[in-house]
Amino acid sequence: MLCAVLLLGAGGCSGSRSGNSKQVIVTGSTTILPIAEQAREGFESANSGTSVLVSGLGSSAGIEAVAAGTSDIGTSSRDLKEEEEGLGLIDTPIAFDGIAVIVNPDNPVKQLTLDQLRDIFAGKITNWSEVGGADLKIDLVNRDEASGTREAFKKIVMGDDAHFDKYAVVLPGTGQVRDVVARTPSAVGYISVGFVEPRFTATAVKALVIDGVTPSEETVADKTYPIARTLHFFTKGEPSGLTKEFVDYVLSDEVQNGVVVDAGFVPVKEGSE
Amino acid sequence: MTPPDGVKPSTGELQMVSRQTQIKEGLLATLFFLCAFVAVLAVALIFAFVGFKASPIVREYGISKFLLGTEWVSSDEKFGILPLMQGSFIVTLGALVLGTPLAVGTAVFLSEIATPMIRKIVRPAVELLAGIPSVVYGFFGVIVLRPIVGQITGGVGFGPASAAIILAIMIVPTIAALSEDALGSIPMGIREASFAMGATQWQTIYKVVVPAAKIGIVDAIILGMGRAVGETMAVLMLVGGAPVFFHGMGGPMATLTSQIVMDMGYSTGTHRTALFGMAALLFLISMGLVLAVRLMSRLRD
Repeated sequence: MLCAVLLLGAGGCSGSRSGNSKQVIVTGSTTILPIAEQAREGFESANSGTSVLVSGLGSSAGIEAVAAGTSDIGTSSRDLKEEEEGLGLIDTPIAFDGIAVIVNPDNPVKQLTLDQLRDIFAGKITNWSEVGGADLKIDLVNRDEASGTREAFKKIVMGDDAHFDKYAVVLPGTGQVRDVVARTPSAVGYISVGFVEPRFTATAVKALVIDGVTPSEETVADKTYPIARTLHFFTKGEPSGLTKEFVDYVLSDEVQNGVVVDAGFVPVKEGSE
Repeated sequence: MTPPDGVKPSTGELQMVSRQTQIKEGLLATLFFLCAFVAVLAVALIFAFVGFKASPIVREYGISKFLLGTEWVSSDEKFGILPLMQGSFIVTLGALVLGTPLAVGTAVFLSEIATPMIRKIVRPAVELLAGIPSVVYGFFGVIVLRPIVGQITGGVGFGPASAAIILAIMIVPTIAALSEDALGSIPMGIREASFAMGATQWQTIYKVVVPAAKIGIVDAIILGMGRAVGETMAVLMLVGGAPVFFHGMGGPMATLTSQIVMDMGYSTGTHRTALFGMAALLFLISMGLVLAVRLMSRLRD
């Protein structure tokens, strides 16, 4: 997929990367993929002759691509790291997202505190009976290091002192985490709130109540749910030309109240005030 | 295409080769030389590139810390690949233990037992296994195999067990085809001599034919091993992605190849050179295996 993007990128825009080509390349977070994909469809049909290339390789890959100039927009579900601050990237928040902690629907555990959650993912709590469940070994399902969801989860839940249990399974996508948790009674993982409800599959997972708050669009928007984050579009310098048009389109009411809400995220305009 | 007139002269006395033909022959020889040269050049360039990119890990990070380090934590700048090497080793070994009997058994069946009719069906089926893209194997493994392995070993089913089982199936065509060649090259007279001594078919196979072909079969196993060490996609999808030491066949691990793919999208600095270091190591391993095969075939001759 990466190759295809690079090839098309090289062939389609005859050397011009400044944004006035008829093509916008959007790379990055797998969390933002559904927003970008659907916005692409709307944008392309509204602006004939333009094309938007969307790919999801992880937030870090998106930031690297936009900084290197191989992509017009880098999508990221995490903030910039310290070493990425100096790259001259402009941040446009496009939505809010909460990270839900998911377990198998057969798991009797309904809620956890942030501290319990931290101990579980650090490998200190290893049996569900320690948090009010059945006597069953906890199987952690983690995301890969390029994942913005992992980065956000680490920052919010794990903090500076706790480390992820190294023996946890590492899976490279939201869909895989959801699928494995849905099929394994002992598993626990974390995904965007927007993916908890089945969209493309019939399998079900259960989102846990964290610190007494149920993850939902409302609790993410009013910031009572503790594991929440901002989704970003990064551009190299102020967006211009077609890139700006696409960013503006994503920020329009049409997309914010349509695609963004449909994907289970929270529009940026209501939340940011 | 050749007109009958063109053939005629050759039936007569020998003719001088025309200048045009000489040039054409010369050009073709050069063309084929270039083809071979491109392959050699590609290997040399890739090796030089990987080595060049990997050199900082040796100079700045330290070769012993890299090869013998027990921790791979890229966010903490710890790049010890011992757990990854162990992962590659265990997955490969598991695949060989499961796959070799299956493949050699297939080869013996095809070469010694099957009637031509059955051979006509079985051989293409085995060859077809080699044509299935590895991502399809991985997908099959994740959907079908993983839950079963998870129930047996406990846990979620990602780990060396799942990866080794899928890899075992993947290396069967390689080992089976080469073993069958080795068995086929054993002269018929040897079998006839065995039968003449009163040996049964089974005795002939395991006491005469297979021992006679053993170098060829070991060759085949080594090449299968090369395939297993280098296989990436299917392993990545099944091995679990946790860069830690072995903790049970159902406990997630990582291999050299799976870790390279997992990290290459976002790695920078020392991390990236570490990945190139792993690539260089894989290169050396497969070079060593090819070398071993060449030495073995010299032994056979």
